[in-house]
Amino acid sequence: MRFTIYQESRQGGRANNEDRTTCCYSRDALLMVIADGMGGHHYGEIASQIAVQTMADVFQREARPVLADPFRFLQKGMTNAHHAITDYAARHKLKDSPRTTCVACVVQDNIAYWAHAGDSRLYLIRDDRVIAQTRDHSRIRLLIDEGMISEAQAAVHPDRNKIYSCLGSPTPPEIEFSRKTPLTHGDIVLLSTDGLWGVTSGEQMALAFKGANFLQTVPKLLAEAEVKGGPHGDNLSVVAVRWEDSYVEEESSAISTMTMTQDEVTTRLEEFGRNPSYKSDLSEDEIEKAIEEIRNAIDKYNPKK
Amino acid sequence: MAQQANEPLPSGHLLEEYTIDRQLSLGGFSIVYLAWDPAGKQVAIKEYIPNSLALRGKGETKPVITADHIGAFRYGMKCFFEEGRALARLSHPNVIRVLNFFRANGTVYLVMEYEHGRTLQEYIQKHQGHISERFMRGVFTRMLNGLREVHSHKLLHLDMKPSNIYLRADNTPVLIDFGAARQTLASDQPMLKPMYTPGFASPEHYNTRKDLGPWSDIYSVGASMYACLAGCAPQAADARLNKDILVPAMMRWDGQFSDRMLEIIDWCLNLNHLYRPQSVFALQKALVEAVTPPAPKVNPNWLGRFVETFRKPTK
Repeated sequence: MRFTIYQESRQGGRANNEDRTTCCYSRDALLMVIADGMGGHHYGEIASQIAVQTMADVFQREARPVLADPFRFLQKGMTNAHHAITDYAARHKLKDSPRTTCVACVVQDNIAYWAHAGDSRLYLIRDDRVIAQTRDHSRIRLLIDEGMISEAQAAVHPDRNKIYSCLGSPTPPEIEFSRKTPLTHGDIVLLSTDGLWGVTSGEQMALAFKGANFLQTVPKLLAEAEVKGGPHGDNLSVVAVRWEDSYVEEESSAISTMTMTQDEVTTRLEEFGRNPSYKSDLSEDEIEKAIEEIRNAIDKYNPKK
Repeated sequence: MAQQANEPLPSGHLLEEYTIDRQLSLGGFSIVYLAWDPAGKQVAIKEYIPNSLALRGKGETKPVITADHIGAFRYGMKCFFEEGRALARLSHPNVIRVLNFFRANGTVYLVMEYEHGRTLQEYIQKHQGHISERFMRGVFTRMLNGLREVHSHKLLHLDMKPSNIYLRADNTPVLIDFGAARQTLASDQPMLKPMYTPGFASPEHYNTRKDLGPWSDIYSVGASMYACLAGCAPQAADARLNKDILVPAMMRWDGQFSDRMLEIIDWCLNLNHLYRPQSVFALQKALVEAVTPPAPKVNPNWLGRFVETFRKPTK
């Protein structure tokens, strides 16, 4: 399995980042997840964190080194995440349970499987064109599908952010699954929250990747979207993978899983916190240790007279 | 970011085994208190309480730190530990002694020895324009002993200035406030800007800070010496890089002090760090060299005196 992967989450113009992303891979399977905690609800970032963490945990347990049934894994993972969020709300006696969208994609044996609930999207880009994308679980999408309004009208519709399926709400989520989709060399699978796709269309993303360096293009897309989003723009997150069968553009940036052992799983997951970049790695234990160390130094070098 | 001043702990407050007497000073990152230890000795206690991140209202003990700031607060605490670590390892008569370090009220405290005296800054203000060369050499040579000790522990003070040089009752200097030491780490933290004092900070303190070294502290020593003579801080280094209007000590006080000392001040204040004394030892060596009294340069005849007035007073 060979691929190049990039994940990033940006705060945009919002007070805190309620988006969460993760990617995990074993020797023969890859999982990518994006969750967008809902701003209107309290603790949006808790819901999204629980969602990605639950998915990552299940993957770590079951990808040894492949998942027995990827669709079942996606179904179980997202349902578990949904229950974990409602349990959290019950345990903490929250009036309104925190909610999050979720889109997750598994690739193994060069086949992609994905599932989603809500309006975070997955795009599959091949030969500079979007060949597949998820359909948002939003009322506006239904209206478009019924021909009631046009895409252009939808972009400014007041209800464009309203969704009818998500994890954590009292009504169980409606999880939509993809088909088994074989990937070929050079395919790009891109997961994004509405902060990115809301201002950059799939076609624009596909064009941006055309002939460009993959690892430079994704942050560029984010940066452009951040500018377009303006001073109050939404959080924007992306996990994108370019599938490389045999050919590698840059040796260093491509990840090969051939050297990993059967039971090894690598996970890249941001820690819990409103602003992970500020997160200091100073734990309670380390504080105690530092104080102990300073006291010892005082006793050693400046003993009490 | 609103900058509110934090309320100090009240007089008489019992902090671990110490009793707070009064606030000595208030900085952006900390409050320093005068306190009594159980044996009835006076101590100085420095409390880590960054203004922008932790807020303590009137009558409260524990500062409030919002969830947004906890990361930055902890990061600053790390820097405070650096200061504690730096000081704890230094045992030198010209460096402030640390007595204790403890955790309370959700923050951390550094207990230091307290002695009666005043800062060099206060001394300069009191004796404006009447500071003798003997005093200068005495204070700076001994203060440099302390700085040498600091540098030998691979530390930089980075905030050398007259207000951080404390003079005991017998005028022996003590280096205080190592708050900037090692804080180069903090330069990428927007809420914990690296600290420096304009006028005393070297040109390397500005911009990328990658050239910081013993010579940067030496610039600040030179600026402190200059301030002793001038009564105020010299032009800031960043402004000097733009347009240097600092009158060299050699020109400004020609004839009033020994050429050697004035030369040393100008040497330390070189904008190019490579042209300064590269180590405290080199500077100290120059300072303790035989004092050459200002040479009487009065020409015996009237023509010589007339020509003298046109000569540039640089020598």
